[in-house]
Amino acid sequence: MSLPSAHLFIQTLILGILVGGVYALMASGLTLIFGVMKVINVAHGAFLILGAYLTYLLFQWFKLDPIISIAITMPLFFLFGWLLQKYVFSRIESPEQTSVLVTFALALILEGLLGAIFQTTARSVTPSYSTATIILATYRIPVTRLAGFVTALVVLLILYYVLERTRLGRAVRATIQDPRAAQLVGVKISMVSAFTFALGVSTAAAGGSLLSMIYTFNPASQGDWVAKTLAIIVLGGMGSLPGALIASLILGVMEQLTAIIVTLYWSPIVFYVFLFLTLIVRPQGLMGEVIREKG
Amino acid sequence: MKSKLLHLIASIVLISMLITACGPAATAAPVATEAPVATTAPVATEAPTAAPEPPIKIGASLPLTGDFSGPGTAAKKGYDLWADMVNKSGGLLGRQVELTIYDNASNPDTAVADYEKLITQDKVDLVVGPFSSKLVIPTSEVANKYGYAFPEPAGGAPHVFDRGLTNIFFCQPASSDVQGVPFVNYIMALPEASRPKTFAVISQDDPFTLGVVEAMEPLLIAGGLTEVLKEKYAPDTKDFSSIAAKVADLNPDLILGGTMFDDSVAQIKAYIQAGYQPRGAFFTTGPSLPVEFDQALGTATEGIFSAMSWFEESTTETNPEFVAAYHAMYGSEAIAEDSANAFTVGQVLQQAVEGTQGVDNAQLITYMHATTFKTVVGPLAFNELGQPKGSFMTLQWQGGTYKIIAPDYAKQVDGIWPKPNW
Repeated sequence: MSLPSAHLFIQTLILGILVGGVYALMASGLTLIFGVMKVINVAHGAFLILGAYLTYLLFQWFKLDPIISIAITMPLFFLFGWLLQKYVFSRIESPEQTSVLVTFALALILEGLLGAIFQTTARSVTPSYSTATIILATYRIPVTRLAGFVTALVVLLILYYVLERTRLGRAVRATIQDPRAAQLVGVKISMVSAFTFALGVSTAAAGGSLLSMIYTFNPASQGDWVAKTLAIIVLGGMGSLPGALIASLILGVMEQLTAIIVTLYWSPIVFYVFLFLTLIVRPQGLMGEVIREKG
Repeated sequence: MKSKLLHLIASIVLISMLITACGPAATAAPVATEAPVATTAPVATEAPTAAPEPPIKIGASLPLTGDFSGPGTAAKKGYDLWADMVNKSGGLLGRQVELTIYDNASNPDTAVADYEKLITQDKVDLVVGPFSSKLVIPTSEVANKYGYAFPEPAGGAPHVFDRGLTNIFFCQPASSDVQGVPFVNYIMALPEASRPKTFAVISQDDPFTLGVVEAMEPLLIAGGLTEVLKEKYAPDTKDFSSIAAKVADLNPDLILGGTMFDDSVAQIKAYIQAGYQPRGAFFTTGPSLPVEFDQALGTATEGIFSAMSWFEESTTETNPEFVAAYHAMYGSEAIAEDSANAFTVGQVLQQAVEGTQGVDNAQLITYMHATTFKTVVGPLAFNELGQPKGSFMTLQWQGGTYKIIAPDYAKQVDGIWPKPNW
């Protein structure tokens, strides 16, 4: 335990906020899918890693920038999510119980397939700016992290716009609040579910693309990421998008500060400490009232 | 309803934490560990007229997937090449060699189960070790239980030798506690004015990496350097940005990284981003992988130091043949140290089997303790604990490849100090 200098403290705070933004994008799909479908998508980590590998391939084959490749990976994943919902998840009865098993199976299948194709060697996407930094008033901002943060905010803003300003988005929000009432006023639940699931999975594509240039990954990394994103949405309140954003920023900052104040060894554990604290102190999470269930 | 849900979430997170905790790659075993990954068993088709002797069966479990898959795969190449060379030259005691290699996915528990299976079910005559101390420590116990000699290519941490086992033979020139010594000597020989004054240690929590760097610490301190920071991290740590910011803030002259491969690259990238420019940088493993390290870092490799057991241009007695045979079998890529270390294990085993005229493990163990072997890393002899009696070399990356800068007998070029910016 050592107290950092003010400069180091602020530098670390900046790193934490940047990484928090990326976490928010990664967790957004998970919380959205839970909000609408009450499905805890344990395969979300595997989707992130799949997105990372797709970005890796596009970079290897066509030298495509990881951020630009989001324009390709997101629509592909949207389609993938739609099909998955239509042919797999829509057939599950009582998704609150069974979906965990089904998505866990899906995660293992994806991990196995990716392992068979790519081996377990750790990969990362290294665009020309992968070690570049911008210096702002003596503080150093890694370009990959800044680009990741900005991209995450843009995608989250689009997501927010879709949910708040479009008819489909209104239907999604109505379904989150009360599926039965939504159905009564003419919302087609199956359509909304497919749309939400597809949207959630497509955010994983974007999250995966950012992950691929900031961290190293292999198929087994999916376990780390699903645990992290689950901890985020529990802290934020299951189903709440703003909650996920706030929780991501808190956890990102806490994780980075722990590394410099306590020890690097404890830094990944921060997520689980907060998870259990949340479950004990405020089980509904920071913004959890959104998912209050009826009767 | 809600509390049920929360329990469910808590259990999922717990399960995923457990899965991750069970070993870095417990879930990453795409290659079924049940099936031998490769058996190099070119059963002699041109068998002579007499009844063919049964092959000598040799077993190993290697990390072909998971965290150690890079060096593990390199070790497999060394074993396969050795078996191939032996078989092509008429076998061992006139018998063909049959290798069975399982993939343990870098998981110690799987590795232990693999050696149990090799000895009790596959009934192999001999076993050879896995990659790295973390796997050698538990698996050597299995070999010891059944009285098997355990020559191994990559397990030199202090804890490998402090358990009173007499069946281990670490087939590199020196155990990990002395691997960094030539580098420390190099530092101490620098002119007073340019010698580093401060250093930091950032190491993975692994018996090998800690074994190397923790043996260097007291030597550096005794030499007048001040340690400004020591950090250990979990093997699956991916994010070094904030610790790099802390290192940059303290700005030590010398950085010692206790690393495997991935984390050496991640650490260096984070230091570059944090604007940290040390005068010297030493990493335990990573710089010793000739192809991968260059691909991952490019020009940032310039001036980085590491410890080395072997190098391709070495002219030790059997090395030129090994290098030629390697390139004939695998192409022109640069040879990884781990392939040479595994090949060394084969050479030691071969000379011991020929020396004792059999595969009796008790006799082999006695013979190995008493003999000096001719290997690609030079003459190799072991003390009563199985520690080799030689010393390591220090390498430095210069112009996109590594060169030996110390000790004098193997020196290819002069060291560059301070290192250029990365």
